[in-house]
Amino acid sequence: MSSDEYDSFESGRFEPQEGRQAESGSEQAPERFDPSLLGKLFDLTEPVTVTAQMIRDYCAAIGEDNPAYNEPSPDDQLLTAPPSFAVLLKRSEKIYRCMPRYDEAFAAGQDLEYLAPIREGDRITLASSMRETYEKTGRSGKMSFVVLRSTLTNQRGETVAHIDHRFVYRS
Amino acid sequence: MVTRAPAKTFETVVIGEMLGPHAIVITREQARNYALACGMSTPRFMSDEDARREEGLPAMLTPGNMTLGILAKLVTDWLGSGSGQLARIGTTFRSFVHPGVELTLHGFVTHTDQAARSADLDVWMENEDGERLVVGTATVAFGPAE
Repeated sequence: MSSDEYDSFESGRFEPQEGRQAESGSEQAPERFDPSLLGKLFDLTEPVTVTAQMIRDYCAAIGEDNPAYNEPSPDDQLLTAPPSFAVLLKRSEKIYRCMPRYDEAFAAGQDLEYLAPIREGDRITLASSMRETYEKTGRSGKMSFVVLRSTLTNQRGETVAHIDHRFVYRS
Repeated sequence: MVTRAPAKTFETVVIGEMLGPHAIVITREQARNYALACGMSTPRFMSDEDARREEGLPAMLTPGNMTLGILAKLVTDWLGSGSGQLARIGTTFRSFVHPGVELTLHGFVTHTDQAARSADLDVWMENEDGERLVVGTATVAFGPAE
C-alpha cells in the first residue's frame, strides 16, 4: 500500500458504510480501538483473478482431492474452487493499519458464509470493515477482540461470501 | 486421504451421525506453503526457528484459516458429489495447532431443518490428548427436493 493511499484513508476520503454497532452482550469497545471505525467500509481491493493454478495450489495445501474441485467442469472446462478457498484471498492491508500491534494479534476464529461458487476466471473484489470489538476475561487475563468482516463480490456483482475474522490481543 | 463418500441426500441425514474420526498430520511444509499462498510470511508460519527467535513461540503454527479449510473439507467429503453444499462454517481457534503433530478430525449432525432442507453440524480438530484445538459449527443445504 502506498503512503498516498494511507493518507487518503486518514483524510476520510473512503466512504463509510452504514455503521454497525457492537452486538448486544458485548462489552464496550476497548479504548485502543477507535470506536468510530466500527462499520466503516475500508477500501475495496483490486479485483483478484482466480486462476486454475491458485485453485490447484489451494487443493494441494489442504489435501483436497475431491474431483469436484480438481477436475474442470465438462460444461465449460473451468475449475470450481472448494468453498474454503474464499478465506485464502488476501484482504486489503489498509484495515490493519487501524489495528494496533497487529503483529501481536492471533487469529481467534473465522466464520465463512458461502453464498455462491468461486470459479476459475472469476474476478473477486474484497471489501472489509471493522465489525465489532469487545473484551473478555479468561484464564490468562483480559483479552481484546476485534472482528473484521470481508465481503467478496465477483465480476457480475454477486456476493459470493462473507468472512468474519476474529483476532485476539492479550492485554 | 478420505475415501470418497457416496452423495449425501437430505433424506439420509440423521441427527447424531458422525463424521470421522479422520487422522491427519499437517506438515511444516504444508503450513508454510499455505501461509505463503495467503501472503502471510510472518515468522510464526515460516519455521520453528523463526517462530522461537522472532516471536517467542515454542514452535511454528498452522494458520488458523488453514484449519478452517481442513474442517470444511471434512464436511464436503461427507457430502460427496450430490446436491448438498456447505453454506456456512464457523471456527474458533482455541489453542495453537503446531505442524507435525497427530490430529484427528471429528464431526456430528446436531440438527436438521425439514423446511429449509438443511442440517447443522459440530466439527472439531483434536490432538492425541483429546484436546479440542479448533471447534466449530457448519450448515449444509441440500436445495429443493427433486
